[in-house]
Amino acid sequence: MKPKIPPAVLEYTGLLVALALLIAFFASKAPHFLSIATVRTIASSVPDAVFLAVGMTYVLIIGGIDLSVGSVVGLSGAVLGVCLGVWKLPVPVAILVTLGVGASIGFINGSISVRWRLPSFIVTLGMLEMARGGAFLATGSQTMYVGGPIERIADASIFGISLPFVCCILAVVVGQFVLVRTVFGRYATGVGRNEKAIRYSGINPLPTKIAVFTICGVLASIAAVMNVSRLASADPNGGTGFELQAIAAVVIGGTSLMGGRGTVIGSFFGVIIIAVLENGLAQIGAQDPVKRLATGAVIILAVVLDRYRHRSASI
Amino acid sequence: MKHCRFSFLSRPSFQIIIGSAICLLAAVGCGSSDSGSAPGAPTAKTDTVKAGQKPTVALVMKSLANEFFQTMQKGAEKHNSEHSSDYTLISNGIKDEQDVAKQQELVQQMAGQAVGAIVIAPADSKALIPVCEKAMKAGIAVVNIDNKFDRDVLTSRHLAIPFVGPDNRKGAKLAGDYLAKKLKAGDEVAIVEGAPNAFNGIQRKLGFEDAIKAANLKLVDSQTGRWETAEANKVFAAMLTSHPNLKAVLCANDNMALGALAALKAAGKKGAVIVVGFDNITAVRDLVKSGDILCTVDQHADQLATFGIQYALDIVSKKASPVDKETPVDLITQADVK
Repeated sequence: MKPKIPPAVLEYTGLLVALALLIAFFASKAPHFLSIATVRTIASSVPDAVFLAVGMTYVLIIGGIDLSVGSVVGLSGAVLGVCLGVWKLPVPVAILVTLGVGASIGFINGSISVRWRLPSFIVTLGMLEMARGGAFLATGSQTMYVGGPIERIADASIFGISLPFVCCILAVVVGQFVLVRTVFGRYATGVGRNEKAIRYSGINPLPTKIAVFTICGVLASIAAVMNVSRLASADPNGGTGFELQAIAAVVIGGTSLMGGRGTVIGSFFGVIIIAVLENGLAQIGAQDPVKRLATGAVIILAVVLDRYRHRSASI
Repeated sequence: MKHCRFSFLSRPSFQIIIGSAICLLAAVGCGSSDSGSAPGAPTAKTDTVKAGQKPTVALVMKSLANEFFQTMQKGAEKHNSEHSSDYTLISNGIKDEQDVAKQQELVQQMAGQAVGAIVIAPADSKALIPVCEKAMKAGIAVVNIDNKFDRDVLTSRHLAIPFVGPDNRKGAKLAGDYLAKKLKAGDEVAIVEGAPNAFNGIQRKLGFEDAIKAANLKLVDSQTGRWETAEANKVFAAMLTSHPNLKAVLCANDNMALGALAALKAAGKKGAVIVVGFDNITAVRDLVKSGDILCTVDQHADQLATFGIQYALDIVSKKASPVDKETPVDLITQADVK
């Protein structure tokens, strides 16, 4: 008789062990690593990545991919900068406009790939270029210093925890709930697992797909709002490469690139693992080549471990 | 030909999409290659500029997504509109600063169009030399601006490509020296470096180090922020944790200074650690004014291209012989920002 472990704990054991190993390693190398300051730094830097990872989890689960999110962060940030800095709109209005940008881009991504049955890889690759071009146009290719009221979002805290971090945890909880407990979540998983089967059972998968891309776009815009409020500036190059980081985090978290399988909570741990790795490497003063080698190696290692876990689960 | 091997290509809808996409891209491409007048006869090989003919100067820059090169391009266009009877300007940039291959291609294209001169801000201080050498052999004057070609490679190839530009190391030293006045010997400082493969980034780091050594400050950490705000923010936030006694940070560009400033704010250390930037972009001017950023360095991007173009024209008309020219570098402090 094996002792009974709740499946939910088992699901994340691998990730937690990996995280614990990383923390132990850096704690032994960097004297200030195990400190409140480190926790605060990571908590203030991860929200944008978490929002992106939540959206990307859904996209990967339906068997798609969204390469445009990094550029959408750049464009949304630029639009937010222009709304606040040039048009002097009130903060809530500016944020709504920004979220509208993300929603529209996500909707376009989803609609085009559904309407013409194109792989989302190529559609979102095109959008990656277009959104980046838009970001340069909107800002005149200049970094804008925004400052002012938008900074309050990053400064605010609830029970001593920063508001963006609370928001991103909320996004993870809601994201996981919707995925597991709602019809929409079931459809999304079904589309990724076997789209034909979904079709034959009389469900139109297209609205689900478009909705998933739209949500991903909105979440990218929220990430942009967090980014701009934290850095107090809108950089037209902001968000470059975020798409790959998000995909890496999601895949580390156990979501399959083939679709049909994944969890939002796993993606959250994926983000934390990458953030701990980045922060730890910077604290021990690792130079750029070492950072890149280590980050890449950890991504591959995590995915290989995940493969073993799922193989043993399926036997 | 209905039995196409790639059956999806024969779908009419697909063809329409591809067709219209190509048209659209072509239109966009034409639109962006501004100051469109066609360059001189493409057959001319040896002496590209005949007497009385208006020479074409090709300005090949790095990323136009970077404010520095935007300013540079605007400066060049202004100069061109004021001297439109003297020369025709074609300006080009690459998508991002790391795209060395694309810039090599651009130089070859410009050489193929037999322009009179190429003024180039190379994305890589070595890799662009061979294509420039070919252009020179075809009789095109080449002037190097902004990012200096590697002297050793030039010497080994027996080439003399004149450099017109600022001394980044000197600029960084100016900023470092100014910072040193606010600190005392033994104080801990850190550097946030530019992209590790960029010559100007390396020069700036060396300049900061010169100043740090001269003032007996203690350099405790130096890592790259890859020129970006968000990256610098993350890296510097970690540095702050591992070095609680840090007194100042020297950033190799202003974007990264913005990132460092945000990290200080998040850690509640704003004002306790001094931030130094480089480039004098518009976004930091108010911050220099308010004292949040101690100082930055202006390399006069707008004039940089102008100097290069003027110099290239002088070489084409045989008025000047190719030697290096240094352009001004100025320290910008609170007193300079109004």
